Amino acid sequence: MEAKVPEFGRFAEPSLLILVSLSDGPKHGYAIMQDVEQGTGRPMGAGTLYAALARLEERGLVEPLTPVDRRRPYRLTAVGATMLAEQLRGLSEFAQRGLRQLGDTRP
Amino acid sequence: MKSLLIRCYPARWRHRYGDEFAAILDERPLGPFDVADILLAAIDAHLHLRGIDAASHQTRGFMMSLRIGGSAAILGGVLFLAGLVASSIDHSEDGTSPWTAFLLAGTAALLLALIGLSSFQARRHPRLIWTAFAVPALGTAVSCVGIVGMAVLGDRPLVGDFSPWEIWVFGVFGTVLGSALFAVATYQTRALSRRAAALLATGSIVLVAVLVVGLTGIVPALVGDAGVVTSVLILAGLLAFSTGWIALGWTALRLERPTAAAA
Repeated sequence: MEAKVPEFGRFAEPSLLILVSLSDGPKHGYAIMQDVEQGTGRPMGAGTLYAALARLEERGLVEPLTPVDRRRPYRLTAVGATMLAEQLRGLSEFAQRGLRQLGDTRP
Repeated sequence: MKSLLIRCYPARWRHRYGDEFAAILDERPLGPFDVADILLAAIDAHLHLRGIDAASHQTRGFMMSLRIGGSAAILGGVLFLAGLVASSIDHSEDGTSPWTAFLLAGTAALLLALIGLSSFQARRHPRLIWTAFAVPALGTAVSCVGIVGMAVLGDRPLVGDFSPWEIWVFGVFGTVLGSALFAVATYQTRALSRRAAALLATGSIVLVAVLVVGLTGIVPALVGDAGVVTSVLILAGLLAFSTGWIALGWTALRLERPTAAAA
């Protein structure tokens, strides 16, 4: 299995969740937190969210839009979309392989 | 409390994210989990900002390689098509024409495109991508030898029984074969447009087939008067080859723009 998002260390998983959340359109930070919590059933802290967002922005995978009040929306870049698609395909292949192996080893 | 937590972050971080981060903290009451998460993230921000300049350099480098690779692919596709078509029409007495320089420049541009556009594919298919680079790199060197040979020796043999023109054809063969390998890797990784990769692969395979068949002299035995068939195949293959490279370059340049879904 490939690394989820390269060079992001412990922020690799939050970064992947943020990319997935932004895949259907721009969202501001709080909307991303709510989306991730609904999708995974686990809360994402504001500190973790912004640590991951800063890394994604540095790598050009997401980009900030003009703030509305104090809320700044972010959106996926084309490079981010390509990276996300690649990561999800890798995860899907890994999951399918695991399920096949599980089926093979069942009595 | 919230203001104190935000002050734990470096000034540079607060300047960039402070307002929007404060807005998030205002959305809901903070629990122990939130406070611990923010404190850990603040420590991370202090450590991470030390390496931020290096990271932004890396991002700029990646974007630059996409820009250079995309532009080189478009330029290479155009020059290769123009050079090959024009040099096949313009039969100079000494075997060389100014269009040959177009072809050589196109080959060099395609080599540059291979370097610039292979970052995604190289992660999943490193051997294929290195071969896709090495084969046309060798081909470009061989093409240079052939072109210089044509200018100096004309039709006289250069290496063994091979004329400079034949050596130049070997070089072109390398460029086309490398392009086919690159197209296969690109199609598999879906890093750029799959249609463009398929077009490039089809054009490259047709040209490789025509070159192999032409060099080995099988065609006349198979179809008799093969001149028209060969010309049509070369033209179709060349169009697909050049259009494929141009389309790949175009999609690479568009990668920097926001996605339509996100707009």
